[in-house]
Amino acid sequence: MRRRTLLKLGATSAAVLLVAGGAAALLQPGLEGGALSSAGREVFAAIGRAILDKSVPAEDGPRQIALNGLLGRVDALVQALPPHAQGELSQLLSLLASTAGRRTLAGLNPPWPEASVAEIQQALQGMRLSSLALRQQAYAALHDISTAAYFSDEASWSILAYPGPLKI
Amino acid sequence: MSQLKDPIREGIAGGWKVSGGALGPVAEKIVCDVAIIGSGAGAGITAELLARAGLQVLIVEEGPLKSSRDFNQKESEAYPSLYQESAARKTQDKAINILQGRCVGGSTTVNWTSSFRTPATTLKFWQDKFGLNDYSVEALAPYFAQAELRLNITPWLAAPNENNDLLRRGAARLGIPAATISRNVRACWNIGSCGLGCPTNAKQSMLVTTIPAALDMGAQLLTETRAERFEFANGKVRALICRSVKPNGALAHAERAQAAIKIIAKHYVLAGGAINSPAVLLRSGAPDPHGRLGTRTFLHPVVMSSSVFAQKVEAWSGAPQSIYTDHFLDTQAIDGPMGYKLEAPPLHPVIFASTVPGFGQGQHELLSSFPHNHTLLALLRDGFHDQAPGGRVLLRGDDSAVLDYPLTDYVMDGGRRALLSMMEIQFAAGAKQVFPLHEMAQPYTSWAQAREAVKALPMKPRLIKVVSAHVMGGCGLAGTERQGVSRPDGVHWQLDNLSIHDGSLFPTSIGANPQLSVYGAVNRLAQGLAKRLTGRDVTLA
Repeated sequence: MRRRTLLKLGATSAAVLLVAGGAAALLQPGLEGGALSSAGREVFAAIGRAILDKSVPAEDGPRQIALNGLLGRVDALVQALPPHAQGELSQLLSLLASTAGRRTLAGLNPPWPEASVAEIQQALQGMRLSSLALRQQAYAALHDISTAAYFSDEASWSILAYPGPLKI
Repeated sequence: MSQLKDPIREGIAGGWKVSGGALGPVAEKIVCDVAIIGSGAGAGITAELLARAGLQVLIVEEGPLKSSRDFNQKESEAYPSLYQESAARKTQDKAINILQGRCVGGSTTVNWTSSFRTPATTLKFWQDKFGLNDYSVEALAPYFAQAELRLNITPWLAAPNENNDLLRRGAARLGIPAATISRNVRACWNIGSCGLGCPTNAKQSMLVTTIPAALDMGAQLLTETRAERFEFANGKVRALICRSVKPNGALAHAERAQAAIKIIAKHYVLAGGAINSPAVLLRSGAPDPHGRLGTRTFLHPVVMSSSVFAQKVEAWSGAPQSIYTDHFLDTQAIDGPMGYKLEAPPLHPVIFASTVPGFGQGQHELLSSFPHNHTLLALLRDGFHDQAPGGRVLLRGDDSAVLDYPLTDYVMDGGRRALLSMMEIQFAAGAKQVFPLHEMAQPYTSWAQAREAVKALPMKPRLIKVVSAHVMGGCGLAGTERQGVSRPDGVHWQLDNLSIHDGSLFPTSIGANPQLSVYGAVNRLAQGLAKRLTGRDVTLA
């Protein structure tokens, strides 16, 4: 039953894989056991620092703590998704983590950990305004998951000047 | 955690028959008079009335039983536990995000309490186009009145919060009439976290009204139990097959390892909400001789305009959606260019941050405006025009439901006009800046600048942000078998011991927040069903 979802996304992104002669079977899944795999973490760590660039602390130490916190919250968010959504996200992250997928789907040349914030933001902008549904959908998933996860925790609420729940 | 009295925990301690999930295993076979699928607006009203008629009622809910002690105003807990697909349900092309409840009480546990009777123009359309002659303002009035009394639905008399008052003031400056919204609350604390579950039990949702009433009368509730499919024999439903599910909706055990839960009832009521109700019938291979099942599913597609004011708005605080305007519904023909209703939604961190377009510096500036942010939304009235036929419910390979909803040019034209109307109102109310939620928009500082920019924006799916919290249709009512899935009395056209009692019945969208439309229509249907099954006349307490 998972197979049909995979095949559907696979068909849409067949061109992506063919470009570099990749094969879906060789890719590492983006999620493992309902949480980010190492491949998935690599993608979200890079996406997080680009999307939340001005919202995470500027200094290295606190910035790293905030971005690690983000990955933990993405895991919590992913765990609550139904199986079909986990399956699609896993495949999206898997593609993005591959060299071929990163170059064609995201339009990013350097590997995720080495790419600058500006390079990743440029790639995101390309996906956001792309005429290909798959690239737009990928952008929306990355944007919505990283921002929803980051602001789900009270540690981030000072940016919003949000006082938090009332005591009842 | 709320320290207030929790009527649900008291009820469980007092011996309610509740099982499933954390509340204990469900029996493999259950026999009852009536099995109701779902526990939201339609299911709750039906459960109370049928229990009152002396029937043995069983309620099957896919989501968990959460109550005021659990409702801590945190989105990080509310979305995963109370909403379909963790509040991230999407249409097939991922152009529309859908908010729908998935917990005991259904969407009524998490809605923003806005209560409107079905508009007269909508009912007239149903009479004219779908042969629903009994669906008139006069015929439904007593059933609405009973529901309003039962759920304390009254106009919100306290002052609107600033978020809503901006809509009132902006509209007034443009000569646009706006009015107060009725809400289903009792002794409301005016906190504003209705969408995260009411922590004070003020909201008169099904969770604290009809479901407890039915349980007090001996009804049985299965939680974290999915209605998978019906079995049919001789034009009737013979059984309902259910499965235990985990909090994220996955099967609790692999299908082979999990014994099915088999429910045998004299009558079945499907009230799982639009999308899910048609999906149960699709999974079951229910008869559908005219190809109507799952079609004409409506969303009131919502577009939004965000704005920033010099003063604090604090849109998270105070009763959500207490002011509305129907000016843009009432000033044009129902089947002309798409009309829209304007309201002011509450904002909380996760929903705000994930809705703000963009990233980096631009996103950060918008995020920083949060306490000063005022967002308006437009509910586009779909289903009244050939170019707004709604969507179609499909099954994925794993049998889960997904809605295919094309955003046509006609709908998108309504979206553009709605953005223009909302921005003009926001500037009239004194906004320093407006930002229509579109991936290619910028913050605009004057009405003239905003108007020209929005006229030029491509109104394409996934570029314009579209959401929905009102899913309707898919098992439409119709006066003839060819036109719909359900008869005017709510019974399935081809299966005479199956009734459909939820928003999936509506043959068009409502043109207003739909909860009271469900309560009113189902109140009449369930009274009729009680009479048919028992010969007894019953009404809501």
